[in-house]
Amino acid sequence: MIQITDEILNKYLDGELSREEAEQVKSGLSTSEELQKKYNALKLIHEKLFDMKEDEVSPAFTDKIMNQIVSRKFAIPKQQKYFIVSIATFITLLCLVIFGFVISAIISSAPSSIGESKSVLDSVSNLTDGLVTTLKHLFSGSGLSIIGSIFSLLIIISGYFFFEMQKRAKANLSNGQHL
Amino acid sequence: MRNLSDQEIIDSVRKGNESDYSIIINRYKNKAFSMLKRMLKNEFDAEEVLQDCFLKAYNSLNSFKGEAKFSTWFYRIVYNSALTKLSSQKRKIETEMTSVEDHFDLESNYNADEIEKKDINELVHKIINKLPEKYSAIITMFYLNEMSIEEISEVMQITVSNVKVMLHRSRNSLRDLVLNSRLAEELI
Repeated sequence: MIQITDEILNKYLDGELSREEAEQVKSGLSTSEELQKKYNALKLIHEKLFDMKEDEVSPAFTDKIMNQIVSRKFAIPKQQKYFIVSIATFITLLCLVIFGFVISAIISSAPSSIGESKSVLDSVSNLTDGLVTTLKHLFSGSGLSIIGSIFSLLIIISGYFFFEMQKRAKANLSNGQHL
Repeated sequence: MRNLSDQEIIDSVRKGNESDYSIIINRYKNKAFSMLKRMLKNEFDAEEVLQDCFLKAYNSLNSFKGEAKFSTWFYRIVYNSALTKLSSQKRKIETEMTSVEDHFDLESNYNADEIEKKDINELVHKIINKLPEKYSAIITMFYLNEMSIEEISEVMQITVSNVKVMLHRSRNSLRDLVLNSRLAEELI
């Protein structure tokens, strides 16, 4: 004869006992009012738990997640954003330096009388000549090698950022696979 | 479309039909929310964590091999996220063994008068919210989500016998509470 404990009653309720054990519990329940009461309460709880209602999320829940999925798909990744901003900043600074150099070269080569005695047309013509001379100077001999060096540096920096971005993307992909 | 299996929907999402993921969300959102709400004891946190779970699952869909059921895989994400949230709130997280050995006293949370005023359904609903996190998770997965003991053990990463011990303990506590109330005379 098995001792009818709470554990046995739970197993009886779940149908986990052997036929012989189940018969013993059944006869035990028919002879003990206390045991019968305990079992009935357990059964009642078991049934009421199956009647449990689901809680509901807010009505816009699904749309909120789908919007996030869509916006993430089309959003530029953070790493890529930094890359684009840094390259754009570098190019802007480079243009400003070249522009400043050209302007200062024009001003220093132009005759001092500009704006005093000559007409506006002459001034424009002087400025154009100055610009052409400066550009010729810039893209010939040592000027060309300086510009070449700057662009090479730019390409190397871009390559570095691109390599880093690829590396991080690969790392993110492998992290996702471990979940 | 709504009768498709989880695996078929996932395959469709993987092929680029991302809008099909909304079927998965609608299929699991309320059940998972019920579990999170009972574990975290807070509706706002539960919804926030659930949102993260769906996004996490979406981002990891390619790593879902289909060896286990999608529901088991997803509830594992939900359960682990709830534990992470609880630990971030610096609440006590028990290890597998200590949680089984742990005792909780539901009766101290309820006085006799309060019990007598409620009907049994409301009482059961309220008491489940008072259970410790892991116990309420088991009750929700077993009764509401109708998952097998084996699936629950897979989700919680504990043994089948430990799941049974925790389930029986939860039921016994609820039963004792009902037995000690006047509701017992009316219902049993």
